[in-house]
Amino acid sequence: MIYRWLDERLEIGKFKAKFLSKTFPTNPLFFLGEITLFSFVTLVITGIFLGFLYEPSTKPVSLFGAMVPAAYASVVRIDLLPMGMIIRRIHHWSAMVMIASAIAHLVRIYFTSAYRKPREINWLVGLGLLGLSMAAALTGYLLPYSQFSVTATSIAYFTTKSVPWVGDWAARLIFAGDFPSAGIVPRFFFMHVMLVPAAIMGLVGLHMLILVKQKHTEPAGNQNREEAERGKRLIGIPIWPEQAVISTSLYLFFLFVIVIISTHIPLNPVEKYGPPSPGTPVMRPDWYFLVVYGVLKLIPGDMSFSVFGGKITPETIGGVMFPSLLFAVLALIPFIDRAKAPQHYIQNPLRRPFMTSLGIAGGVFLGMAVVSGYMDVLDLTPKDMRVYLLLASAAAWVFSYLLLRHYNRK
Amino acid sequence: MVERRTDNTEEKAGISRRRFALGLLIASVAGAVGSVFSVLKVLSPDKKGGGYVTTIKPGDRLIYAKGENQGGTIKASSFKAGDAVLVYPEGKTSNPANLVQLIKLDANAFKPPTDVSLTDRGFVAYSAICTHLGCIVSWVENEQSPGSSFSECFCHNSIFDPASGAKVMGGPAPIALAQIGVKVTDDGLLVFTSDFNGPIGPQV
Repeated sequence: MIYRWLDERLEIGKFKAKFLSKTFPTNPLFFLGEITLFSFVTLVITGIFLGFLYEPSTKPVSLFGAMVPAAYASVVRIDLLPMGMIIRRIHHWSAMVMIASAIAHLVRIYFTSAYRKPREINWLVGLGLLGLSMAAALTGYLLPYSQFSVTATSIAYFTTKSVPWVGDWAARLIFAGDFPSAGIVPRFFFMHVMLVPAAIMGLVGLHMLILVKQKHTEPAGNQNREEAERGKRLIGIPIWPEQAVISTSLYLFFLFVIVIISTHIPLNPVEKYGPPSPGTPVMRPDWYFLVVYGVLKLIPGDMSFSVFGGKITPETIGGVMFPSLLFAVLALIPFIDRAKAPQHYIQNPLRRPFMTSLGIAGGVFLGMAVVSGYMDVLDLTPKDMRVYLLLASAAAWVFSYLLLRHYNRK
Repeated sequence: MVERRTDNTEEKAGISRRRFALGLLIASVAGAVGSVFSVLKVLSPDKKGGGYVTTIKPGDRLIYAKGENQGGTIKASSFKAGDAVLVYPEGKTSNPANLVQLIKLDANAFKPPTDVSLTDRGFVAYSAICTHLGCIVSWVENEQSPGSSFSECFCHNSIFDPASGAKVMGGPAPIALAQIGVKVTDDGLLVFTSDFNGPIGPQV
């Protein structure tokens, strides 16, 4: 009855025929992007809870007899609420998982070369989403205003400042003046809860629209290869009702795992770090920043020079140029490895020795950069680590390339 | 349905409707973009001296910056060679640029480029702000041989040698920590005697 009432006014029958019958592939590798979206939804929901209770201010307030910044005090109070700490951990863990599944999604797209024509635009939108997720994480670091938050954000501040020519101005724009200034908490709060999530929602919408328009790439195994190649006929299940059921159970299972992790594994123990104080504890950033963290440790301290009045310092190279270069290379991939005709069939990575071995080498390089972040624990010097990093990535490239070539000759 | 008019009168005047509209569009977009710059300027506060500017003056007494004695004056008698603490000048603890690491070494341990005239009875003091990215250095004590203890920034593992003017022994820090003069007063307290002898804070 309600259906008919709505259908007469909104023509949902048409909508149903057009969108709700869209076909989804059932290969588990195609669920990585969906898990990224689930994490985002979880972040928004838990974020609303935290936003109601958080106080974005550095003004000193009394907490158990000590004067601490109001932001810090409000986070400690959240942790004391029934379920408060769990919800804060779910929020933080979801962020970790969101970036992990986004990168896994990217890796899947890369190795199956699903970025090729006609999907170059969505590859770029996806990269933008990855960058925005990291921006959301970075702005979120500061909010508890603990010793950890302040140290991590000061590193981000000085890295921004190290950008030649505009760095000084940009750092004052983003961090509300010279760090640490009282204006930084409200500014980061606004960026974290409004600006960045709004941008993410916009790009997610675009990502989905383009996906609906272009359809998924077809996993190998579609019998009607001809039609799949033209993007005409896809094998899979419709959104409604089959995919909806699968997605719902996947989301519930995802929530189950996140809640289990959050209940048992502490994360960002704000009370342990304490309010900002002189002294820096041994600390490492969340996993997705370990690459940049490791690279910053590898660049020699005396590697600085001037170009056209701009000063290039080791921080510029490791903290600004290296990540920008990484994103630039990723953005260029679909324009270097091109397909002449629109491609709707996923490629077998074993049949593409060059791109696959390049991807493996890149993975090893980034993995070794993460290892560099643990140099002090492993008792390695930067000098040795630089050699290991270059040797390992070069070896990975040559070895995997030769292996794949051999495989293809058979 | 409105019929499209083809109007040639404007062509004769030298400027077509289309070109006029295009010019208007470009001008308004340029204006809109330009106005964004003035908004950004408001959002980016002007430099207030910029970065780390110390307010330490010669004669300021040293007090503990943290720990159980926080705020208490430093007494020379409670230090043995190989000890180090973070200190502030008394009454100026709100400026992060004033944070100093006070180290006691063997009085004969100093090697160039340490400015020995800024040391007293083995006491030497350096800026506690890492020259790499601004974290606070920590003291890594070697119990077996106090002479080989050193300052380390735990953010990216820059290591500074306190006996050699806090020069960089390892890690990404570009320059040494700046030294500042200290001396022991007649009543056994410590005071600053000079300004920093070099730049402090991150060198970016």
